Amino acid sequence: MSLRSDGRQWGSVAKFFHWIVALGILGNGVWGLLMADMAPSMSKITVFALHKSIGLTVLALFALRLAWRLYDGAPPDEPMPRWQRVAAHATHVLLYAFIVAMPLSGWLFNSLHGYPLQWFKLFNLPALAPKNDNLSHLAGAVHEWLFYLLLLVLVAHAGAALKHHFFDRDNVLRRMLPFVRIGRSKASQGELS
Amino acid sequence: MTVRTSFRPLLVLLALSAPCMASAADYTVQPGSTLGFTSNFQGSSFDGHFGKWTAAISYDQAKPAASKFDVSVDLASAKTGDNDRDSALPGPDFFNVAKYPQAHFVTTGFRQQGSQVIADGMLTLRGITKPVSVNVIFKAQGTGGTLDVSGTVKRLDFGVGGGQYADTSVIGPDVKVTAHLVLAAK
Repeated sequence: MSLRSDGRQWGSVAKFFHWIVALGILGNGVWGLLMADMAPSMSKITVFALHKSIGLTVLALFALRLAWRLYDGAPPDEPMPRWQRVAAHATHVLLYAFIVAMPLSGWLFNSLHGYPLQWFKLFNLPALAPKNDNLSHLAGAVHEWLFYLLLLVLVAHAGAALKHHFFDRDNVLRRMLPFVRIGRSKASQGELS
Repeated sequence: MTVRTSFRPLLVLLALSAPCMASAADYTVQPGSTLGFTSNFQGSSFDGHFGKWTAAISYDQAKPAASKFDVSVDLASAKTGDNDRDSALPGPDFFNVAKYPQAHFVTTGFRQQGSQVIADGMLTLRGITKPVSVNVIFKAQGTGGTLDVSGTVKRLDFGVGGGQYADTSVIGPDVKVTAHLVLAAK
């Protein structure tokens, strides 16, 4: 499997970034919703610290992913109606915005609450804003709601991918699946249909 | 008879030493005095202070050995500027103020170390008494003066944040205690 994307499919680096960020966001989101009501304890401190570290990691991975995308490019769109192409790209832009907004809003929430921000106990990151108790409640709510909105966009994104895979039987999903290599015949078949 | 005479030199010595002991001046602590502490949480330091405490200060600049500090701290008055932390501090995992409302520090001796004056004392915190030494800087000002005291307390020596909170990679092991006292002659 090629590291670089080509005319038929995403390269393994793009695939890695896609799925690791997807896993990180979903896992950390569910983790975040579950941890919110924990009673004060050392476990709570540990669980929150992990949530923050994972969120920062997702942010860093996403930055790397964008840089790679700029360098690597993308395979050309699969044949599909124009409205679907436009909708797909709009969904991607929205998803990207939410992927950045999620960790940044958490970082802001953490800063306004006056908590330190440490990455896996290795180093600390600066606060984005000075402590402010009133704004911190708002930022906490925004951080949570951004996740629900991200889930909505994610449903559209994943739903469309599945629709293309099972109903249109094209390569939209297959070309992003890990460990899947699309041969020439399959690609040309996609172009013909 | 012999017993009485053998006591006489001792009595004379005591009588002579009395003015010496009296030369350590007693002070009252004035408003503007602070008792603070600094520790570390998740790689970031935080400051706190005690709002309620009393100190009996007797200090002799010329002869520090004749000095004495006796400090009582109302542990429930600790504030660090964070609601979560401030509601945890009085709890059983940290100060346990329900059982041990006060901390007490009393000096056992003063010594000169180079240009520094060190006060050795016993700190009682959470029912545990252990030796703690602090640096002392006294600056005379008229009949009063200022006193700056700093020392380090190892929180786990006293079981502050023991048990589940004992992980010092999350909550630092050392708590730096600093006091600034404005003193007036008694």
